[in-house]
Amino acid sequence: MRELFRFLIRQSNLLLFLLLMGISLSLLVNGSMHHRAQAISSSNAMVGQLYAWRNEVTGFTDLRRVNRELAVALAVEREKKYAEPLRADTGVVQIDSAGRESFTYITAQVVNSTVQKERNYITLGSGSLDGIRRDMGVIGVKGLVGVVRETSPHFALVTSILGNELAPSVELKRTGHFGLLKWDTSDPATASLTDVANHVQVAPGDTVVTRGDDGVFPRGVPVGTVLSVEEDPGSNFHKITVKLGEDLARTAYVHVVSDLMKTERDTLEAKAPLP
Amino acid sequence: MIGTVISNIIRFIVLVLMQAMVIDHVDLANGWVVPYLYVLFIILLPFDTPGWATLVLGFALGMAMDFFSSTPGLHAAACTAMAFTRILMLRVLTPREGYDPGKQPTVQHMGLAWFMTFAGTLVLVHHLVLFFLEVYRFTAFGSTLLRALMSVAATLVLCLLAQALTRRELRAR
Repeated sequence: MRELFRFLIRQSNLLLFLLLMGISLSLLVNGSMHHRAQAISSSNAMVGQLYAWRNEVTGFTDLRRVNRELAVALAVEREKKYAEPLRADTGVVQIDSAGRESFTYITAQVVNSTVQKERNYITLGSGSLDGIRRDMGVIGVKGLVGVVRETSPHFALVTSILGNELAPSVELKRTGHFGLLKWDTSDPATASLTDVANHVQVAPGDTVVTRGDDGVFPRGVPVGTVLSVEEDPGSNFHKITVKLGEDLARTAYVHVVSDLMKTERDTLEAKAPLP
Repeated sequence: MIGTVISNIIRFIVLVLMQAMVIDHVDLANGWVVPYLYVLFIILLPFDTPGWATLVLGFALGMAMDFFSSTPGLHAAACTAMAFTRILMLRVLTPREGYDPGKQPTVQHMGLAWFMTFAGTLVLVHHLVLFFLEVYRFTAFGSTLLRALMSVAATLVLCLLAQALTRRELRAR
C-alpha cells in the first residue's frame, strides 16, 4: 500500500496530465452529442457579450458594403413581389412553390465568425428570446450560412457550412438533380456538390439552390454557382466544385429560418420512422 | 510572489482576449497559417511553477480558449499536452547549477537560442495536437502537417514580437 502511495506521489504530474487529457478528449469526442459539452461555446452569455462589443467596434468598417448588399436584396424582394401580385400580402411569411410549408425569417446580426479553421462557427447577436431555436437554418443575403447549434437568451451559435459537420441537400436549379453540399475544398469560397450522376449535363455557371427536403432550409435558397465539373474515371458521379454565393468571411446580417410546420412534420415523421 | 501572480493573471486575460478578438479574425494565406499567440502564457510561466500548477493552468487556458472558439476540449487537450511538455523540457534544459532565482523564460533573460529551443518545442507539440484533433482524421495528413508547421513559425514570430514590444529593462543586480 505504501509502495502504491509512493508511486502515486512520484508520478503525480503524469497522473494529473493523463486525467486532464482524459477530460479534454472526452469533451472533444462528446462535443457533437452531449448538450452539456456543447455549452462550451460562444453562445455563452459572457463570451457572446465580448464578441458583441468587438462587433460594435469593428462593424463600422464594413457598413458601406453591408448597406449596398441590403439595398440590392430589397430590390430583388420588390421585384418578386411585383412579379407575383397574388402573394404580395403574405408579408414575412413566404409560401413556397408547393403552397404548404411556410417559413418566417428572423433577422440577426453576426457578432463573430471564423472561416480559416477546419470547422468554423458563427455567433449571432440574437438568441432564444428572439425565437431562435436549435437546428434552424441560417441563410445570408446571397447564400447558405449554416445551422443553429446552440442558443442562449441573447446569442446563438451557428455551425457554419465551412466545416465537416453539415451536408445540406441541394439541387441544380436547371435540371433538378440533387446532391449534398460538402465542404472538403478547404477554401472558404468554394464547396463540393456530391452524388450527381455522370449522365447529368452540368455546366459551369449553373445555379445551385437548396432542395428543401430537410426541414431546415426552404426550397430554392441560392447556394452558389457551379465553378468546375470534373469527370472522375473510377466513379459514377461528377466531381463538381461550387462557388459559394455568400462570402462567409464578410457576412454581417443573416436570416434565421423558422419553419412553422416543423413540429407538425416532426411529430408525423416520428410516428413512422424512416429506415 | 504576489506581483508574479498578478502579472500572470493579467497576461492570461490579455492573451486570450487578443487571440479571440484579433488574431482569430486575421485570415493569413487562406487558412494555411493560423497563429496561436495565446500559448505564450504557458511559455512565460515562472521557472519555479510547480508541475501540477503548470498542468492545471494549461488546462484552464485551453478551456478559456474553447469557450471563445466553441470547440469543447480541443484547445484544452492541446494546452494540457503543451504544459506536460514544458515540465519535461525544463528538466532537460536545466543548467547544471539550476535556474537563477529572478530569471524568467524570456529571450531577454535566457537568450534567443535557448528560447527558440524551449518555445519551439512547446509550440510544435501544441500545434500538432491541435491541428490533428481539429481535422479529426488522418486522410489529409500532409496538408495538415504543413499547415501546423507553417503556423508554428507564425506563432513563434508573434511570440518574439510580443516580447520585443513588452520588454522591460533588466533590473540592476
